[in-house]
Amino acid sequence: MTVTEPLINVSNLTRRFGGRTALDSVNLSMPRGAVYGLVGANGAGKTTLIKHILGLLRAESGSVRVFGLDPVADPVGVLSRIGYLSEENDLPGWMCVDELIRYSRAFYPGWDDAYAEELRQTFALDPTAKIKNLSKGQKARAGLLIALAYRPELLLLDEPSSGLDPIVRRDILGAVIRTIADEGRTVLFSSHLLEEVEQVADHVTMISMGRIVLSAPLSEIKESHRVDGRVLSLDEIFVAKAAARADNI
Amino acid sequence: MPSPAAAIAWEFRRRHRWGLIAIIGYLLVLATIRLLILGPGQQVNFATTESFALRVVVPISVTFMYFLAVFSFGLAGDLAARQSMYPARMFTLPMTTAALAGWPMLYGTAAMAALWFATRFLAVWPADVDVPIIWPALLAASLLAWTQALTWMAYPLPGLRVVVTVVWLAMIDAIVVVALNYKASEVVMLAILAPHIPIAYLAARFAVGRARRGDVPDRRSMFAWFGRIADVLPRRPDNFSSPAQAQAWFEWRRYGRSLPALVGILLPFELSMLFVFKETPVIIFETLTGVLLTPPFMATFVAATVSKSNPYANDSYGMTPFQATRPLASVSLIAAKLKVTIWSTLAAWLLVLVAVPIALRFSGSVPVVIDWAHHLDTVVGTPRAIAIALLVFAALLATTWKQLVQGLYIGMAGRDWVVKASVFVALLVLSVIVPVGHWVTTNRRMFAALWDALPWIIAVLALLKTCAAAWIALRLHDSRLLSDRTLIIGAASWAASVFALYFLLAWIFPDLIVRHYLLANVAILAIPLARLSAAPLALVWNRHR
Repeated sequence: MTVTEPLINVSNLTRRFGGRTALDSVNLSMPRGAVYGLVGANGAGKTTLIKHILGLLRAESGSVRVFGLDPVADPVGVLSRIGYLSEENDLPGWMCVDELIRYSRAFYPGWDDAYAEELRQTFALDPTAKIKNLSKGQKARAGLLIALAYRPELLLLDEPSSGLDPIVRRDILGAVIRTIADEGRTVLFSSHLLEEVEQVADHVTMISMGRIVLSAPLSEIKESHRVDGRVLSLDEIFVAKAAARADNI
Repeated sequence: MPSPAAAIAWEFRRRHRWGLIAIIGYLLVLATIRLLILGPGQQVNFATTESFALRVVVPISVTFMYFLAVFSFGLAGDLAARQSMYPARMFTLPMTTAALAGWPMLYGTAAMAALWFATRFLAVWPADVDVPIIWPALLAASLLAWTQALTWMAYPLPGLRVVVTVVWLAMIDAIVVVALNYKASEVVMLAILAPHIPIAYLAARFAVGRARRGDVPDRRSMFAWFGRIADVLPRRPDNFSSPAQAQAWFEWRRYGRSLPALVGILLPFELSMLFVFKETPVIIFETLTGVLLTPPFMATFVAATVSKSNPYANDSYGMTPFQATRPLASVSLIAAKLKVTIWSTLAAWLLVLVAVPIALRFSGSVPVVIDWAHHLDTVVGTPRAIAIALLVFAALLATTWKQLVQGLYIGMAGRDWVVKASVFVALLVLSVIVPVGHWVTTNRRMFAALWDALPWIIAVLALLKTCAAAWIALRLHDSRLLSDRTLIIGAASWAASVFALYFLLAWIFPDLIVRHYLLANVAILAIPLARLSAAPLALVWNRHR
C-alpha cells in the first residue's frame, strides 16, 4: 500500500439486521495521519461501521478495505496494525493487569515494553490487580493501554469516554489522540459527545440512521455553517443534519 | 399491565411463548385422542410400557425440566456462579421482596399443578395403573419451589449451587420413593409433601432479600492454595514466544484445569471402594470400570466450557470483541483449543494412572487384577492381551479428548439458536432412541433384522461421514482457511490413523469373529474428522458475522 492510498476505504457499504438498515450505502475514505471523529446518535450505525472496519461484520454489499486489505479475508494482516478499544469493556476478568499485558504483547511484534510500563504508571494500574476488580474507568484505561502499547498505525476507539471521568477524559484521551496523530498515525474514534469531538478531531464524519450526512475537516465544517455571522456549534450542526435526514426518510 | 404481578406473568408468557405453545399443542393432542378418538372414560392396555413412556412419560418429564428452568430463571443465569440467579434487574422494581419471591413461585406451582392435572386427566393411561390424583402435582410443585429457592440463593463457593440443589432434590425424591415403597396412601403423601412449598417460599424470600442487598458470601480463599498449585501446571512463562503459545495459555487458564480438577476430586471417593471391598472381585471390577470411565464422563460436562466461545457472558454465545480482535487466524484459535484439550486429557489420565496403582497396592487388590490379566493372557495370548489393553486405554484416552472437542463446531458457531437447536435435537433423539432401543432389544425379530442390517447401517454412516468431511474440506479450501499442504497432511494423517486402527482391530479379531469390511467402517467412524474439521468454519461464521 502506498502512503497516498487511503488507510480506510469503505464503498457502498450496506448492512441490514433483519428489517432494519443499520448502514445504508456508506462511503468513507480516510487518509493517514489525522484524528477522525465519527459522531452520531445512539443506534446511528457508528459501532456497526467500526465493526466492519475490524472485520467483525462481513459486508453484505459494498466493500471495506483497511491498509488495502479485506479485514474478513486477512484478519491477522489488518488486526495486527490496529489498536482497538471496545465500548463493551470486555477484557477477561480473571486476568491480572500484568497477565493482560504479557498476553497482549505476544500478538504484536512492535510492542514497546517501556511505553507499556509508562502507560501503566500514568494510568495508575496495579499490575497484580484482577481486571474484574477494577473500576469501570480503570478497565477502560487497561483497554487503552493494550491498544496503545504497540503504537498501532490505526487506533480505533469506540465510545472511549464511556466510563472515564471528565478529568481522565480531558487529560489522558486528549493527550493520547494528539500524540498518535502527531506521529503520523491515524485515530478514528466514535462518540455522541460532540464537545469532546470538537476538542480533538481534525476531521468529522456525521452518521445518522445508517447514512453519512456530513464528512469534512472540522475547520471546513465550521466555516461553512454560519448563521448571521455566528459559527454554529457541532451540536447544532448535527441536530440540523439529523433532522434533515429524518425528513428525507 | 394492571399490576406488577401481571407484569411478571406477562414476562414469563412472552419470553417462553413458543415453549408454552408447544406444550399446549401436546396437551391438545392428548385431549383429542382421549376425548374424540377413544371416547371419555376409555382405558387402554398398552402392548409395551415403552409405547406409554414414549407418548406420556418422556414429554411430561421434558416439560417438567423445562418448567424448572423457566420459573427459576435458570435459562438466563450461570448455574456455577456464586451470585443469586434471580435477575438483578428486577431488584429495583417497586415490589416487596416477598412479592418478588412469591409471584414466580406461585406461577411455577400453578404451572406444575396444571401440567400434572392435564396429563392425569387428558392422557390415556394403562388400564392396570392406579394413577394418583393430587400428590404428584404437589411433588412437582415442591421440587420447583426448592429449585427456585436454591438457585436464587447466593453461595460462598462457585459450583456449590449445583451440588446443594442436586443433593437436596435427590433427598426429596428419596423420601417419596421410600414412602411409595411402603405403599403410603394419597393422604400420607400429601402430609409429607405439603410443608415443602411454604418452607421453600421462606427460603426463597430470604435468598432474594440477601441478593437484593448484594450480599454474596465468599469463601474462595479457603481454596486459594489449590489455585496456586494449579498455576504451576504448566508454569506461566514470563514472555510468550508466539501468539499461539499465548493463546494456548489463555485457553488453559479458562478451562484447561477443569477436567483434571474434577477427576482429581472424584478419584479418592471412587478408589476408597477398593479399601472397603478389597475381598470382592465384582466390586473391584465395577470400581475400576467406574474410575476408567470418569475422565470421558466428566469431559462431557467440561466440553460446554470448551465450546462456548464467550464464557463471560451468560446470555450470549458470540465472541467477545476482545477475543475476536486478537490478530490470530481463526484456525490458530481452534488449534489452541485442540492443544489445550490434549493437555487437559493427558493431565486427567496422568492422575488416573498414578492414583489407580497406588490404590491397588495399598488396598491389597493387586492379586485380583493380576488374576484377570492372567485369564486374558490365557484366552487370547500375551501379544493380543497387551494389544487389547493398549487399545482399551487408547480408546478411553481418545474418547475423553473426543468428548471435549466434538461439540466445538456447535459452540464456535456462536449462535444462540444453533446451540439451543442442537440441545433440543439431542434430547429428542435420546427420548426416541432409549424406548426404541429397548423395544428393539426385546423384540427378537426386529433385533435379528437389525443385526443383519448392521453392516449396511455402519457402511451408510461411514459414507455419510466421509461425504460430510469431503464437503467441509472443499469449504476449507475455498475459504483459504487452511493451505493445500495442511489439508493434504490432515487427510493423510486421518487415513493413516484409520488404517492403523483397522489393522490392529483386524489382528485382534479374526475374520471368523467379525468381518473385516465391518472393522474398516468402524475404524472410519471411530477416528474424528468431519465435526472437528467443521470447527474453523463455524468460528469464522461467528467471528465475521
